[in-house]
Order: sequence, then C-alpha cells, then structure tokens
Amino acid sequence: MSEHIYVFKRFERFWHWSQAMLIIFMMLTGFEVHGSYHLFGFEKAASLHTVAAWTLVSLWVFAIFWHFTTGEWKQYIPTREKVVAMIQFYSIGIFQGAPHPFRPTTLKKHNPLQRLAYLGVLLFIGPLLWFTGWFYLFFGDWKAWGVDSYLSLEWVAFFHTAGAFMMLAFFIAHVYLTTTGHTPTSHIKAMITGWEEVE
Amino acid sequence: MLKVIGGFFAGVVVVGLLAYNYMGSLMFREVVSPFGEEETVARIQQNIQNVGNGWALSGLRNPGKAVEAAGGNTLPVMMIEACSTKYSGPILKDDTVRFLSILMPCKVAVYKKNDGKTYIGLMNAGLMGKMFGPMVGEIMGHVAQDQAKFILFDPSKPAPEMIKGMPGAPSGGSGASAPGGC
Amino acid sequence: MLPIRRITLSALAFSALLAGPNAFAVATKTDALAAPAPVTAVPAKPKPASTSTADHGKFKELQKNFKTGPEVTEACLICHNEAAKQVQHTKHWTWESVDPKTGQKRGKKNIINNYCTSPVSNEKDCMACHAGYGWKDSSFDFTVEKNVDCLVCHDTTATYRKLPGDAGHPVYKRTEFPKGSGKFVEAVDLRKVAQSIGKPSRTNCGACHFFGGGANGAKHGDLSSSLQHPDRYLDVHMDEKGLNFTCATCHSTSSHQISGSRYNVAAAVKGPAHVRGKEDTVNPASCQSCHGDKPHPLARLNEHTDKIACQACHIPEYARDAIGTERSWDWSQATVMGPDGKPTVRKDSAGRRAFDSKKGAWVWESYVIPDYRWFNGASKFQVIGDKIDPGKTVLINEVGGGPNDPDSRIWPTNVHRGKQPYDKVNLTLTLQHTGGEDDTALWHNYDWQKAITAGMKAGGLPYSGQYGFVNTEQTWPITHMVAPKGDALTCAQCHSVNGRLKEIKGIYMPGRGDNNKLLDAAGWIVALLTLLGVIAHGAGRIYLSNRKG
Repeated sequence: MSEHIYVFKRFERFWHWSQAMLIIFMMLTGFEVHGSYHLFGFEKAASLHTVAAWTLVSLWVFAIFWHFTTGEWKQYIPTREKVVAMIQFYSIGIFQGAPHPFRPTTLKKHNPLQRLAYLGVLLFIGPLLWFTGWFYLFFGDWKAWGVDSYLSLEWVAFFHTAGAFMMLAFFIAHVYLTTTGHTPTSHIKAMITGWEEVE
Repeated sequence: MLKVIGGFFAGVVVVGLLAYNYMGSLMFREVVSPFGEEETVARIQQNIQNVGNGWALSGLRNPGKAVEAAGGNTLPVMMIEACSTKYSGPILKDDTVRFLSILMPCKVAVYKKNDGKTYIGLMNAGLMGKMFGPMVGEIMGHVAQDQAKFILFDPSKPAPEMIKGMPGAPSGGSGASAPGGC
Repeated sequence: MLPIRRITLSALAFSALLAGPNAFAVATKTDALAAPAPVTAVPAKPKPASTSTADHGKFKELQKNFKTGPEVTEACLICHNEAAKQVQHTKHWTWESVDPKTGQKRGKKNIINNYCTSPVSNEKDCMACHAGYGWKDSSFDFTVEKNVDCLVCHDTTATYRKLPGDAGHPVYKRTEFPKGSGKFVEAVDLRKVAQSIGKPSRTNCGACHFFGGGANGAKHGDLSSSLQHPDRYLDVHMDEKGLNFTCATCHSTSSHQISGSRYNVAAAVKGPAHVRGKEDTVNPASCQSCHGDKPHPLARLNEHTDKIACQACHIPEYARDAIGTERSWDWSQATVMGPDGKPTVRKDSAGRRAFDSKKGAWVWESYVIPDYRWFNGASKFQVIGDKIDPGKTVLINEVGGGPNDPDSRIWPTNVHRGKQPYDKVNLTLTLQHTGGEDDTALWHNYDWQKAITAGMKAGGLPYSGQYGFVNTEQTWPITHMVAPKGDALTCAQCHSVNGRLKEIKGIYMPGRGDNNKLLDAAGWIVALLTLLGVIAHGAGRIYLSNRKG
C-alpha cells in the first residue's frame, strides 16, 4: 500500500526549481567563460553568468531566511543512523526490489545520504563557488581590499572551476538519484507537487 | 519495421542538417593570400586581365569605406569586380535564368582578418552553376576554371599597381556606365 | 556601496534579457555594406574670428620685408622676450631627452633608429624639421636666440615650407623640389606669415610629425596626413565634423613645454579625471586626464584598467587608411641598381615607396593590427656608440615593464623592423652620411664605405672599415587614431584561444585557454565517471526489474 505525505512546502519547491535552473544555466555559461565551448559568445556568457549569480544570491537570502525562521535548517543535520543501510540499499537492495530503508516524514524529509550530500553542497561546494566567485567578480577591488598580494586570479579561477566540476558531478548524480524513490518518478513528483508517495 | 522507417527518416534529417550546415562553405571558398591586401588585389586584377576569355575588370568596390563614412570601423574589404560578356551574354539572353544577373559581375573579395592575414573570398561558381540547368552549368564551369586562374600567383613577378579607378565607373563601385561592367 | 551598484546593473541587464534576444544582438552592418562609398567633401567649419587680443597684422615691428627666418624671430622677441629661452629648453630645440631614472640621454641627437638612422652628418637635410635655423653640423650654437624658429609652429597660412638641404631655413627663393621633378616650391612670404601667426594647428604639428621617417605615415603608424581632416571613424576626438581637437587640445603646453612625449610615456595613469582648479600632476596628454581611470558604466570593464591601457581596446587597428605605415626598412638593399645599372625607384601596389636605390626596400601596410606588449612608459634606447650583439635582433628601444609591475599596462604597439649597417669589429650601429651633394654622401655616390666613414667621423666614433647589416626592431606605443566607442575591441577578441593577446604572458585570462589542464582533465573525468556510474546503475535496475517483471 502506498500513501501520500506532504514533504516540500511551496517556497521550498520554488527555491529548488529556480535554483536548479540557475545552477544549470550558470554551469552552461560558466564553462563557456572557462573556454570549454562556444554557445552564447564570451561577452554574453560572462554577463549572463554574473546576472544569474546575483539572482541566485538574492534567492539564497530568502532561502536562508526561510530555513532559519521555519527551523527547516535542522533537516540538514547529519546523522549516522541508517547510513550503512542506505549504502546497502543503493548498491544491492535497489536491484533486488528491496524496500527503501528510509521513510520520509514532514520532519525528516531527507534520507541520511541526502542529508550528507546536501550538507556537502551547502557547506562545501556552495561556499567554495560563492567565495571564489566573489573574488573573481570583484577582481578590480582586490587592491582596495588589500588582498591583491595574497590572491592570484589564476588560483581563484582554479578553485572556482574545481567547485564547478564538483557541482557538475553532484548534478549528474542528483538527477539520477531522483529516480530511486518508491517509484522512479515519486521523488520528482514530490518536488513538483510537494506530496511524496511512500510505502 | 517502425524502427527501420524511423531510422531512415532520422538519417534523412541528419543529412539535411549537415548539408544545411555546410552549404555556406560549399558555395563559397576562402583562401589565405601570401601577399598584403593591396598587392593581392593588384595581382588578382593583373591575372584577370591576362586570363583572356573576354574577362575585363569592371570595378573595385570597398564596402568598408561605406562603414567608415558612417563613422564606424571595419577591417578593410576590397571587392574586385570582373566580367566576361562571353559568359554573361548567354545567361542574360535566356529569360528563365536572367535572374542570375544578381551574380554579375563576378566578384572576388580580398580582406584582412583579425589574425592580420589577408584572405581571398570566392564564389564556388562551378557548384552553384550546376543547380540551374546544363547551359548555366557549363558556363559556370568555365567561369570556375578561369576563377581558379585569378588566384594563381607568381611571386617572382614584381607587384603590379592596384587599379583603383575603372574607366567610366565612379570610384568605390562599378557604375551602370562602366563598359566592362555586366 | 559597490555591490549595490552591481545589483542594479545586473538587474538592468536582466531586464534587458527579458526584453528579448535582440537586446544583445550586434547590429548588423549589411545595409551599410550595400551602399557604395559616397564621395562627399567635408564641409569646412566656418573659421571663428580670432579671440586673440592682438592683431599681429597691425604691429609695426612686423611691417617689414623680412629676408630671413632669424630676422622674423628677432622681431617676435621684441615683445615675446622670454619665448626663445623657453623654446631652447624643449626637445623641439635640443633634440635631446634625458631619462629621469637612468640619466640616459636619448632624443634624435643621441639615438640611432631604424628609419633614417641618425641626423649626425646629415643635419642640412634632417634639420628641415628642427624648430630652428642653421643647424648644419655639430658646430651649431644652441644659445643663439634668433635661431629659434617661431613660424614653423605658429604659421597659420600653411605656406611656410622648410626643405631638406637648407639646415632648417625656410624657402627664400623659388626652388625645384624634389630636384629634377619639375615641381617648384614658392618662396615663403615671410612678412605675410609673420603677420598672421596664431596657435599651432594640426597642420603645424603634422608638417613634421605626420611625415617622420621620410614619407607620409611612415614612422608612427598612428600619425599621418589623414589626421589633417579626419572623419569620426578614424579619430573620434579629432573628427573634423565633431570635436575637432587639435594636437594641442591634448598635448597642452606650458612655457613651450609640450606634454606627452614618447620618450617618457604616461603608461599607467590612475585616478579620476582632472577637475579645473584642482592641482594636477597628471600628464594632460593621457586619456585619463579627461576620462579618469574608471570611465565605463560597466564595472567589469573598469576592472580592466589595472592591466590594460585604454589604447589597447580603443585603437583596434592603426594606420586605418590607404596611406598606411611602414612596417620595415631594409637598408641592405640600398645601392642596388636597376637592371640598366642606374639608380631606380619602385612603388608597391598601393603606390607607396617600395624600393629606392638610395635608401633600400620597404614594406607598407594599412589597417595594422597592433603588437601588444607590457609597457610601463620607460624605454631604454640604443644610443650612438652602444655595443650590440649582431647575432640577435637589436632592440632600438627596450620597452620596459611586465605583468607584475603595477605601473605597467598592456599597450598596443607598432613594431618597426629594420636591417641597417653596423661596424663588424667595434660592434656598434653605424652613422652614415646619406644626404648631400658631396662625394661621400650615400644618396649621391652609392658608396656605403665612404658614407659610413664620413658619418662615423662626424659623430666622433671609431670605425673599423668593416660593415655588415643587422636586424633591428623599434617599438612605438600607439595612442592616436582613437576609434568611436562602438568600435572598441569586443571581449572575445582577446578572451579567446587565438585572440589579440595570445602572446601576452603573466596574466590569467578567462576564455584564453589559460586553464589548469590537469584540473580540466580531472574535472571532466570525474563528471564522465559519475555519468557512466549512474547509467550503469540505472541499466542494472532496468535489466533486473525486467527480468523479474
């Protein structure tokens, strides 16, 4: 038997999808600025990348506010509980049709591996991109900030690119793992409607 | 069966897309010149005058000058215009292909790119001609043969002088009154 | 403060995005292409009535039939009694410039360039462009005030001519020039010229500076007679129908000291534009003195000003006209005679000098794409007597600066290649006596040995008697012929793999392929493995569920 529970609130869904689009768009434009291919042209790619960055910044301001006022930030507190069970499920159980070891609830909507992965994105990949992106963007102000002797654009770009590759890898895995719910589309439906179908 | 038909149509679409993509490069040719821009122009003009078959220069147009007159910058382009009444006559006399007069006079563009090199742009007359029936195809085949001679250079010969003003043509383009113009 | 401004800008850009793709589309120029070049005469602006408080036509000191230039100067100095002293402290008089840091004496008097090489022993010809009278050899007395030439800079009639051979004196009697050409230059009416003096115009400066190196546009590349009546496309500031700047609008002058010298270039001017009344130490002949160092509405463009000279983007090409500029001068071809054994002259396809038995062979080019170099404004010059290494290309001037020097910027430059004589034993560039009618003059006798011997003797240099030819290179920063802003280089012209700055070392430029190759490889491999991993995982799930189902 399956039932439906409400896991993703309206703002959360809005945040997720707008963020998803912005990140995809920033990867697309970012790797063009990086010189990996030609799509928009350097000038447009660079300027669109910046526009998207500022849009994402404002989205994040709201998201951070929302997470703290609603207490939803607790969803990302890591736990060791069921981690092993989750790994076993992804590597073995899923092929045998074993039941999902984690049952999302409104209070615990992410499985333990999701918690770890999202925390990694939020606390490591994100900040790495934000931090290096900030210095990349304000290259002309390094002297005024007194940091010009400590930084080189080459290394700022290096870490920004490294963050981008990590984000790309996360993105690929993330998109695939959305199909590993109760049914292949139940996670995706949940992120669209808010209601997740669970066993 | 469905797969076979689907595959066939997919193949058709792919070929069509490829053809569409490469059509431009098939219709036109671009080669790097071993000379500077003015010398390239002068040598091509000399070749045109020496190639025979009724070829005559009908103009030297510089579209870049119009951009400059409007206050803008562009890397220079010089368009050598040449005509052979031997080839243009039969086409102009035939009502069904008279519209091909938009390809006249025959043009060779000489221009500089941002790499600092001089390039020669030509129309692929042979291929283009084939699309308009046997008569045009044959004529354009001859044009293509002559065109290939326009850009055969002999570096041992001294650089000739660039011919700027055409007889009867205002500078900057060939006029209707140009005797050599088609 | 800044981030807020940026948000506003990105919001603007964002709304532009919403406005549709056309907001970013580059305007097509096809319509302009189709039109034939109109041949329009530039309508001359009506000459404004002189604003001067003095009408020189009414001064009784000038109501004289002057016989010589110095006579006119004596008349000028009756009232302008400090003028000659001022001029005598300028490079226009001394032909000498001292490097403020190294003390090296440069200037035409001291260097050997790779155009006409040196005025030493050729003063009678070269001094046609000296702002003085009578510098015919090393005995010239630089303290004689009446030898200062006021008129060459202050004539407004455009009839004042000085010809090679007269050591700086104007044409006193009708003269055939060039000799044997059948063309004549009329004698200058010194009375009329003296009575109609004024502020220097483009004609005055251009009489020498447009024709440096012996032909129109030859030397600088960004200066030629095309700047006499420039259009907007060629020079947005000097545009005759627009701002119509004279040279002195930027090269503002005090006590006859003209600002903006190529010997000491203001290569990295910082700070805001000059404000009237404020004490100003900025070189007025710099872009920043009017525009400041943050002139763009887009912050991202302003960030470039720390590394790039304005000129690098705003002068997309130089010599942007049919006149063109000289790219190389090969002196080793001089004295080569035509097939009939007689001196000969050849022109290139565009009608510019290509060969002359007197002077050698030249290569010319129009619309030249600059060579970009780091430059901090200081050049170390090859001066007379300096040792050279003939195995290498000799640098006539070594352009200073580099990526880690905060006072360096990436400048567009005109690199002129030469092949010129040197002393094979003493390893110095040689001086040669070229102009003149005497037996040792190269252009008269076509004998290198005699010409070098005479030149070296005049310069007081030892000469071994053995000469060869060495490759040389002279680098000029490009600063004139500023294009309208819409014609500045676009981002991708540098931010691309084979862009304009591909030779520039020492900086990281996005889009140029400066990426860390290891990171790129690792990053793409990780992404690919992740992709393969999920594909395999998914395939396994589908396969197993199918088998079960």
